[in-house]
Amino acid sequence: MEEKVLEVKNLCKFFEVNRGFQGAQVVQAVNDISFDIKKGETLGLVGESGCGKSSLGRTILRIYEPTKGQILFQGEDIAGFSRRQMLPYRQKLQMIFQDPYASLNPRFTVGEIIGEPMDIHNILTPSQREKRVQELLETVGLKPDHIRRYPHEFSGGQRQRIGIARTLALNPEFIVCDEPISALDVSIQAQVINLLEKIQKERGISYLFIAHDLGMVKHISHRIGVMYLGHMMEMGMANDVYKKPLHPYSKALLSAEPIPDPKSARARKRILLEGEIPSPIHPPKGCPFNTRCPYAVAECFNQMPAAFRVDGRQVACYLYSPKYLRKRESLNIEPLLSKEA
Amino acid sequence: MSDWFEPLPAEEKNSEFIAMQSKTFLQEAWERFKKNKMAVAGLIVLLIFTLLAIFGPFFSPYDYDAQDTSNAYAAFSAQHLLGTDKFGRDVFVRLCYGARISLLIGFGAALINSFTGVIIGGLCGYIGGKFDTIVMRIVDIIYAMPSMLYVILIMMVNGANVRSILIGVCIPGWIGMARQVRGQIIGLKEQEFALAALVLGASDKRILFKHLIINAIGPIIVQMTLLVPSAIFTEAFLSFIGIGISAPMASWGSMAQDARQVITLHPVQMLLPTLCICLTIFSLNFLGEGIGDALNPKKK
Repeated sequence: MEEKVLEVKNLCKFFEVNRGFQGAQVVQAVNDISFDIKKGETLGLVGESGCGKSSLGRTILRIYEPTKGQILFQGEDIAGFSRRQMLPYRQKLQMIFQDPYASLNPRFTVGEIIGEPMDIHNILTPSQREKRVQELLETVGLKPDHIRRYPHEFSGGQRQRIGIARTLALNPEFIVCDEPISALDVSIQAQVINLLEKIQKERGISYLFIAHDLGMVKHISHRIGVMYLGHMMEMGMANDVYKKPLHPYSKALLSAEPIPDPKSARARKRILLEGEIPSPIHPPKGCPFNTRCPYAVAECFNQMPAAFRVDGRQVACYLYSPKYLRKRESLNIEPLLSKEA
Repeated sequence: MSDWFEPLPAEEKNSEFIAMQSKTFLQEAWERFKKNKMAVAGLIVLLIFTLLAIFGPFFSPYDYDAQDTSNAYAAFSAQHLLGTDKFGRDVFVRLCYGARISLLIGFGAALINSFTGVIIGGLCGYIGGKFDTIVMRIVDIIYAMPSMLYVILIMMVNGANVRSILIGVCIPGWIGMARQVRGQIIGLKEQEFALAALVLGASDKRILFKHLIINAIGPIIVQMTLLVPSAIFTEAFLSFIGIGISAPMASWGSMAQDARQVITLHPVQMLLPTLCICLTIFSLNFLGEGIGDALNPKKK
């Protein structure tokens, strides 16, 4: 079995808001999420805006303090570590940010930006650092003589490459990519994705890849996780989830993806969800999707279902409990366990 | 078709290649600063005032308090460059001494206030929470008292001299800067580059000073150039109402005060010190704007 780089167990992150007369209200941004990532693997995270994807990534990197749960990095639980204890792990756990215009300090030159991680961790002498920065610039496809320029002299795609070079400076083993391509031009997106894939192949880095572009997530990820209101609804191999989503929410989400072929696009049945995504301050009791789920049953309104194993994936939906096997078939959802079962 | 085009000689291949030379940050900032004519003029005027304040009195045979009552209100002449006042004292020398006091108080107060304001505002913005709430309420209390009151009270205790004015100006003077910096830091610390520094393992000190405050440097400089004139004004005002620098020491404010009684007979007596105050403050404003723009690498 392959080595697990990161394992998250029952991770929760609650934010307190509106500390007013009614007392503190709590936003459950990340709620009881568990998963693991193996060496050299990419886990894609999808879900609509505000579902807690970014909060999950930031909590794993300890930008936010986890409320509950464990974050095991190479077997060590870093969830309760102090900043000093975290310092050696900062080299191994890194992040690529969404907005290349905001993630680089505008007052630093490119050399200072990429050299900063080495400065913080006291790696290499200043002259060796400059050489390393130039190597890193070449790795990400920029010219070594860009070292004295400022971020505003570069385009969005080039800036994102500078951000990637900074991330790579410490030879990380796990990178959270927080929508690294959503601020870029479509033509540039492919370049950045290819660069990320090349780096992964060469260095065996694991990614947690957060995005809303479903096609891109399927392309880069080995496995995909679908999130809704802080919960992990479904997780499985990228192709399985993409071709045959099991959870009603995954079905709706994937049916919303544009298909670049008019014929098959017309043939496809779009699942339109009724209503709005509920407020994360007052999530519905039970499964958070029960307000919009066309197949909701009585249990859905009582308790969040545990993840059921179906076809080697995990689905958090009562329709996949043994009890509802028959009902599911009568509801005429696509036959799900047809061959294997 | 093919003879429409002819190959260029090889040496012309790179003739269109424009490579910008790499410069250090300060070189670039100086370059941008030089383009702003008003800022350069302001810098020159301030340099002249500074030089006059330091060396001016050496070039004149007169002392600032040497009286010659037989020669009161003399016109401009070779002996007295800018004439004499009601006691026959040389106006040029007195203006130079006035520049000493004004510039000392102006720049001294601005430096002390900026330092205090940036540190306190930066810490409040960065740490936030209870610390921020408590410090900001203390700031509100200091701010609630009229600032002139502090100056007058300190002068009652410590006597009317430059040090008292400086202390008096510096008690409430940093508040504007602290509020400004706090606001900037609160906005900047949520930016992704601050999070990136945190993920890289940077210490709080490093994030606050190397990443956040340096990005607030524009507003800080603008605020600083507002602090200088406000301190100069405070001194001039106090001297003008007669409780500032005590006679026979000269400051621009006290000279204007002396000239007030004879403004109809000898308007030049009033004109010269007020002109000095105006020129200094104009120059400071233009200079501040120029430096603020020059330090912003996004403006080319």
